[in-house]
Amino acid sequence: MLRQGLILTAHRDYAQAMRQGLLTLGNDKTRIDIELDALRAMQLVPQQYELIVLDTMLDAMDGLQLLVLMKQQAPAAKFILVSDVPGETSRAQVYQNGADLFLPRPRTPAALKKALHEIGSLLKQDADGQATDEDENGPLAQLIDVVQTRCLSGDSVLLVVRGKHQSGDIFIYRGEIFHAQYPGKSGEGAFYEMSHWDEGLVRIKTLKLNHVPPRTIETAYEKLLTRAKNLGPLATDMRPSTGELRIVSDEVTSEASVPSVVLEAPPLEEGIEPPLTDHSLQSDISTGGETPLPQVNVHWKVNLMGELVEGSQMADPQRCAFITYFIYRKLADVAVALEVDYFNHMTLMGTHLQQVLVADNMGVRHAVFDSPWATEAIREQYVKWCCEQSF
Amino acid sequence: MAAAFVSHEGKLMGWCANSAISSDNLTFVAETCRVIMSANRAEQRAAQTGVVAFGNRTLVFREAEAGLFMVYLDSPTNEAVLQWLFAQVNPLLESEGIKLEVVV
Repeated sequence: MLRQGLILTAHRDYAQAMRQGLLTLGNDKTRIDIELDALRAMQLVPQQYELIVLDTMLDAMDGLQLLVLMKQQAPAAKFILVSDVPGETSRAQVYQNGADLFLPRPRTPAALKKALHEIGSLLKQDADGQATDEDENGPLAQLIDVVQTRCLSGDSVLLVVRGKHQSGDIFIYRGEIFHAQYPGKSGEGAFYEMSHWDEGLVRIKTLKLNHVPPRTIETAYEKLLTRAKNLGPLATDMRPSTGELRIVSDEVTSEASVPSVVLEAPPLEEGIEPPLTDHSLQSDISTGGETPLPQVNVHWKVNLMGELVEGSQMADPQRCAFITYFIYRKLADVAVALEVDYFNHMTLMGTHLQQVLVADNMGVRHAVFDSPWATEAIREQYVKWCCEQSF
Repeated sequence: MAAAFVSHEGKLMGWCANSAISSDNLTFVAETCRVIMSANRAEQRAAQTGVVAFGNRTLVFREAEAGLFMVYLDSPTNEAVLQWLFAQVNPLLESEGIKLEVVV
């Protein structure tokens, strides 16, 4: 039974058709993601998928190279390569690179049906293999105990967790829990729920983590484990089949903080002119293009790995880079859910401050403005300036 | 293309969407937007309204005491569009006892 799959292709129509087909190989909990951008595909966590269907040639990237990279990260996943140029040479090359199945791109409903039949057979073989060898998914163990041991040891590992009905991943990096996810949920909430799957007794496969995972959990592991234990049976059904989410009982809710946010600022003063641009304060920022950089409180750029590339007037550069990368990752999740390409720009408007984030294939720029003078024209000027820097 | 109001407990209080977007996906997107807002509050950069451009499509969300309202549009937006949008939405939500603070 297919639980979670990924389609990597530059062909949108084919992706939709294949997605619909793959959904028929699973049940109502099956999730099939589509990624149309090769660069963004490299940011995904392939371990979460049991099936990855990718093209031999993506936009600007060789699918075979991507296959090798992803196979290293997710050796348990099944990889299917789809080619527009079917032939024995391509077929041999694909299998040589570690693919489990080679398919010519299905261009008719009949061809798609045939392809799905082959994929179904591949998954069935895998399921049969797993039925005879339960250790493939690791031994049964208490999840909390395993996490505690790994954290105490300062390990960097990926725990692939399989319960009776669901599966997910927990990323531990240098002894801290960085990220937890399962289809439809990520972060602390996901960790709490996973810790109570099957009363905590699940199959756990441990993989060495070779890269820094995205961080969605900031809470120290001791506190996280204590909360998970204290939640008890309340957490066992926090995401029932209706899809309705329930809040973790002792988690600080937004209700406490929202009133202070809503009431925090004085009314905007009209007629305030934006201060003149002080170029001397922005000497660290690269300049290019015709549009001048508007006056910003603070401004920085991170690359797609979350590393600070440049910036100006930052009180805490690491913190700035972190929040930008955090939002970048979150918006990547949103883009997948909405089945759209990556975001171009984002504006966050508050009573005191406004923020603009602008993304391109190389990174994300992030600027903070004072609300009283951050007009639409100023924000647009910043977006334009960013685009010119990209060129 | 879609609109939804999600309580802070993550409950989808009301929604409408074309067939391409499921209610589960809307809940997930709203939860993610709420997390982004929460992270910004923690950084002392509180925001109430977010506008994200995905090509020609736009996701607009606004947080209130009762929860998070979001709308997914098949067009770009500007301030005039946002003002018009919330002029339509606010009375509807207020009739259900939900007040969205206007800060734009």
